[in-house]
Amino acid sequence: MIQKSYTLGNKLGIHARPAAELVKLAGAYESKVTIVAGEKRADAKSLLMVMSLGAKMGQTIELTIDGPDEADAMQAFDTLIGNNFNEA
Amino acid sequence: MKQIMGKGVVDGVCLASVMTLSEDIEGVLDRYAVSTIEDEKSAYQQASQAAVGQIEELIKNATDQTQADVLNAHLLMITDVMLTDSIEAKISGGLSAPRAVMDAANEMAAMLGAIEDEYLKERSKDVIDIGKRMVRIMLGISAPDIAVGYHVLCGDDIEPSMVANMTSEHVGAIILGQGSTTSHAVIIAKTKGIPTVVGLGNHIDAIENGETVYVDGETGEIIISPDETVKVRYQERVAAIKAMAKQYDAIVDQPSVLKDGMHLPLAINVGNPTDIDSMKANGAEGVGLYRTEFVFMGKAKAPDEDEQFEAYRYVVERAKPHLCVIRTLDIGGDKPADYLEIGEEANPFLGWRAIRICLDKPELFKTQIRAILRASHYGKAAIMLPMIISESEVLDSKALIDEAKAELRTAGMPFDEAIEVGIMIETPAAVMQAERLAKVVDFFSVGTNDLTQYTLAVDRGNPKISDRYDYFHPSVLYAINMVAAAAHANGIWIGMCGEMAGDPLALPVLLAMGFDELSMSAPSVLKVKYLMKSLKVDSVLLDDVLASRSAVDTRARLTHYLEKIKLKEEIHEKDY
Repeated sequence: MIQKSYTLGNKLGIHARPAAELVKLAGAYESKVTIVAGEKRADAKSLLMVMSLGAKMGQTIELTIDGPDEADAMQAFDTLIGNNFNEA
Repeated sequence: MKQIMGKGVVDGVCLASVMTLSEDIEGVLDRYAVSTIEDEKSAYQQASQAAVGQIEELIKNATDQTQADVLNAHLLMITDVMLTDSIEAKISGGLSAPRAVMDAANEMAAMLGAIEDEYLKERSKDVIDIGKRMVRIMLGISAPDIAVGYHVLCGDDIEPSMVANMTSEHVGAIILGQGSTTSHAVIIAKTKGIPTVVGLGNHIDAIENGETVYVDGETGEIIISPDETVKVRYQERVAAIKAMAKQYDAIVDQPSVLKDGMHLPLAINVGNPTDIDSMKANGAEGVGLYRTEFVFMGKAKAPDEDEQFEAYRYVVERAKPHLCVIRTLDIGGDKPADYLEIGEEANPFLGWRAIRICLDKPELFKTQIRAILRASHYGKAAIMLPMIISESEVLDSKALIDEAKAELRTAGMPFDEAIEVGIMIETPAAVMQAERLAKVVDFFSVGTNDLTQYTLAVDRGNPKISDRYDYFHPSVLYAINMVAAAAHANGIWIGMCGEMAGDPLALPVLLAMGFDELSMSAPSVLKVKYLMKSLKVDSVLLDDVLASRSAVDTRARLTHYLEKIKLKEEIHEKDY
């Protein structure tokens, strides 16, 4: 199991499009991916749960990845969140 | 013939027959006979797969990325474990498949709708959208066929996927009872250039299927069963819109001057720091209102001085050599930030907000002031205080500004020593004290949105009374004129930064009142700049407008005035 915290740097926070990117990425891995933001927790493979976190710019989220391909998955999330969800 | 007014959100005009979008899903649902749990589950599975197929087909036909993004989100939602688990549980509990889908979708929508974020609230409509899609498939109801003929779509609300599916070839305009500028439907309509008017309330119930309507997406005007004169007007507008687009492009880099060459700077309002990019593109000079709330909202704690400094410097630097007016924190119970602990208020617009919070929390205020002062070194900035009602608030604020300056000097940090300090005029209290206030500040900026709301005691967010909210009301005009006179009598400049500043109809009277700067949303700049070229400061007009007896009367007087000017221009052009 790997855990890592991020501060959201993209303008929109986890809105519809960034949320969709995140969910698509989570779906590509076998590992279970959980996001915690404030007091809410979401399965990263569920768009509705991720959106309902309502995570915004400047907020800290914690990612937990657990499964056989967790290292690869963490690297992929690092890139996506580090690039601010490829927001223009 | 009947005229109704809504809020124009996508520019353009249309004259066509109405297709109403109302449908009775609930009625059909009630008559649906429930089969075994197994059968219902398989009905749901089939509908889910069919819906995925439909959306994939729509994605293939999508003409731009925004539509495709929305539809891709729909695909993810349909197969979302949270939704599918909820639906399966409801079916196991004895509900019919379509009822389970609709209930689950409504629950998810309510959950998203409860989040304090306008954008996510709108997303709840996407969940309803996919729910309805599956239910229609199960019940054999076909969605209204919008791919035939040429119509104005009319409904209380519209599903985003329906807008994604439409083309301007078949849909001439969209008019909605609800809807906001941030709904997916409106965003997609914008990318497709389909004229759209929202916020018509129950007026839409009066519009029958098949009736002819004229829709103006710019002014929000809708005319039901228009007569010949409206039809002629429509043709003229179509030709004019085409010609205007060319004219606007030609004046982007020209100075904003009146007919006699007098220069009046047009500035833009900035919320998100990156909005500054639209200043140059629209030929504006400076920022008349930089709303700093963006830097404060949606955070776990107040942003520190460096973070604020970066956000302010970004805009000040890019506005250079023009002025960037930075408004200090204007936050309250309606747009909360948890760390301020504002709490629930019965009346947030009359509550603990803006300058009231800042003066009660001097450290928070001084941190912002220091950040603004530091940014002033990188261009030309000014400080603007919101929600002022008394001279003492200005004097207390200025004392804190002086303290902040002294701290920066001690720390050896450079800033503009001559930075101007002004106030927003947005309360009737400030209007009545304008003479006194003008003596202690460097400038005024009229915030017409709040000034109208406070002067008329009309909540602009309340649809039952929003038609009474109008800055052309004589009392509002009177207030603005008083303030302008007080500013000039005391040798300070006066600007305007509310929606009125970008309204071409208001321009002649604002010129006559002697405004020194107008600040508006970027898309309005070229419209105003273009109209300015044919106008002069006209004191006779001011007397005429101040004699108006109602908002409707004011609008009529100004419309008449502009028509006369336009006619003169045309004659002049012919003679030339």
